[in-house]
Amino acid sequence: MQSARRRKSSLTPELALWAERIEKVARGYELDFREVVFELLDSKDVNGIAAYGGFPVRYPSWRFGMEFERLDKGYEYGLSKIYELVINNDPVIAYLVKSNSLLEQKLVMAHVFGHADFFAHNCWFAASDRHMLETMGRHSTAVRRMVDRHGLERVETFMDQALSLENLLDPYLPLREHLAQAKPLARAKLPTYDLLGFLVERAPLDDWQREILRIVRAEAYYFQPQRMTKIMNEGWASFWHSRILTESVLDASEIVDFADCHSGATARAPGRVNPYKLGIELFRYAEELGHDIFALRRRHNDASLIDELVDETFIEREQLFLYGKNARSSRVEVTDRDWRKVKNRLLADLAWGGLPQIELIAVDADGKGELVLLHHHDGRDLQLGHARETLLRVAALWKGPVHLSTREENEGRLLLCDGKDVEVREVQAPAANDEQSGEH
Amino acid sequence: MFRIEVDRARFREIVRGRIRQDLRKYLANSELIAKQGEHAVSVPIPQIELPHFRFGENPKSGVGQGPGEKGEAVGQEDGEAGGEGAAGDHEGSHILEVEVELDELAEMLGRELELPNIQPRGKREISTDGGRYNGVRRSGPDSLRHMRRTFKAALLRTVAANEWDPNDPKIVPIREDQRYRARKSAPVPDSSAVIFHMMDVSGSMGREQKEIVRIEAFWIDTWLRSQYQNLEVVYIVHDAVAKIVDQNAFFHLRESGGTKISSAYELALKLIQERYRPEDWNIYPFHYSDGDNWSARDTERCVALLKDELLPRCNQFCYGQVKSAYGSGQFKKDLDEVLGSDERLVTSSVADRGDIAAAIRQFLGKGR
Repeated sequence: MQSARRRKSSLTPELALWAERIEKVARGYELDFREVVFELLDSKDVNGIAAYGGFPVRYPSWRFGMEFERLDKGYEYGLSKIYELVINNDPVIAYLVKSNSLLEQKLVMAHVFGHADFFAHNCWFAASDRHMLETMGRHSTAVRRMVDRHGLERVETFMDQALSLENLLDPYLPLREHLAQAKPLARAKLPTYDLLGFLVERAPLDDWQREILRIVRAEAYYFQPQRMTKIMNEGWASFWHSRILTESVLDASEIVDFADCHSGATARAPGRVNPYKLGIELFRYAEELGHDIFALRRRHNDASLIDELVDETFIEREQLFLYGKNARSSRVEVTDRDWRKVKNRLLADLAWGGLPQIELIAVDADGKGELVLLHHHDGRDLQLGHARETLLRVAALWKGPVHLSTREENEGRLLLCDGKDVEVREVQAPAANDEQSGEH
Repeated sequence: MFRIEVDRARFREIVRGRIRQDLRKYLANSELIAKQGEHAVSVPIPQIELPHFRFGENPKSGVGQGPGEKGEAVGQEDGEAGGEGAAGDHEGSHILEVEVELDELAEMLGRELELPNIQPRGKREISTDGGRYNGVRRSGPDSLRHMRRTFKAALLRTVAANEWDPNDPKIVPIREDQRYRARKSAPVPDSSAVIFHMMDVSGSMGREQKEIVRIEAFWIDTWLRSQYQNLEVVYIVHDAVAKIVDQNAFFHLRESGGTKISSAYELALKLIQERYRPEDWNIYPFHYSDGDNWSARDTERCVALLKDELLPRCNQFCYGQVKSAYGSGQFKKDLDEVLGSDERLVTSSVADRGDIAAAIRQFLGKGR
């Protein structure tokens, strides 16, 4: 039955056999996942798919071309290489690179089953579109039709504007709606973080423009859970590929190569956190402490898992530290190893899916139809150059003025955009104060 | 391949548009020169990023992993190692390099500066061996046997001899049917050009002056390369004596001492007489200096050399005077005074990088 189901796969007979064996082992460890279809491709094709975010077909955009150029160059110069790509879909699609060694393929397959289990059971994925492959295809067709009808330039310009807003969303919204069984896109209520959703409903747009905005929003929400669970997802997959391979798949002669390959993926890079490494250590630590790791992988996202598990022992063992720029020597150096500070910083970086928290708090408060946005400042300033440009694009879609309150080095700032220019005003009180915002 | 190639093509088109738009900026900038390959240049462009609300990088800090005491430096992958200059402004730290063919760059240059294509001097069509196997003959080595033609010849012969049997359509080539591929020589218009870049490296030519020369030379090479199939470049430096150097030395050498411009002109003339005969070569000498020659007598000698020897042999002789803190700039005046009416001589003066585009246009605008 298994082999019949996997008929779409393009694996060689040998790899197909291994896929079947490893799947059986994985299920033996109580990993539970939807069907996985493996596709064997050469690296250029894998780079192409990676540039599209894992999907072989997306709507046309130069951005993907730029990403492809970057990946392709990186590969050509030997700087980077993609081993595998998995997409959250039913069936799960996994792309393997032809040039991988047999050992690498085994590792990657076990890794993929880990991801597949995570996709199936982590709560943040509960609301995700499991037919995204088709959905993306439909989006692509729709956009191509628009290009035929309205011309490349117009569609591209609007698409670029819309894409600038792709992170103006509420990372928790899909799960909330899922739990409440609410209809998605229930009438946008204020205040909301889902600016994209608000604009889809309320912005004065042509039908095709609204459709593009809807597409951008749908795809952004599809990818958001992966951003929120990057460390967990990679950690979980690495945890299981390591266990599956060393305990049940490899023979002794392969262990050294495995260790080499595995340690490459989970290496610590100085000055940054490798999600594979941090993730696998979190799950190992949890297991040591006697947690039910399956429950953890179901309930948490990166931030909440770290909040639950990380303590002094973990920070010390993993040698995590804070770094910062020394104003005097202007070099980057270790500034602190206090575990509470390190943990707080980790949490701050991961909170809200790693995005700046920007809320739409009012519309048309003084009768000029303006949107009022509030940046909930958490100690990190916005990049103001980008913020201006982005505001101009929000205003272009809204066809009206847009205001944004934020802070810069603890000074209040009010950015006023009338559609043509952005004026930055210094305001007295800290502009963003979480307690106040709720009253609007 | 997937649609990604279409998106890549679109991306590159946008990039080319950017480069075209900013060509004037690149014209005054040495960025491109270091990136020159044989047929293409990598043009660094700030990644054409879509703006988003995102965090700034101040203060640069975060969580890292590894050993090290408080105060110990952290190796950053995207390190700013050696990065000097004012802090802040990390905008556009994502630099993407895009390969642009030299021909394409030349075309952009031509369009931007409205350069005319060069009319080849005289009518010299030198018959050279085309070197392609585009002929057929009756003898040759087996390795070059042309099967299809051989078969056709055999078929023709068989049919003509009325030996062909449709029920047994066997064709057996014999000796005289054999055909072989052959090189056919075709007259190919020869278009060879030589550039002499001559630079004054006496004490008064500073770093910035050399940089300007370097940028000018790069664009001139790029343009002429697009006009001639075969381009050679000779680099000559001179103070009181002249010598041939390689490209690297040309741009980095710093000699000091007096200036005897005639030494360079003599060397160029000698090379023309020995290696680059005007019958076979289009000749483009460029001379860059701050215009401070050692003596009036040497300037006279230069003028005589130009008038009697160099100009008659060249397509065009270009003199570019780069303003320096020390140079008097007399040489250009002298040249203009005596030879100003000769259209084979073009002089220009460059005060700073902003003048480079105009100077290039003066040099190459005549289409000679």
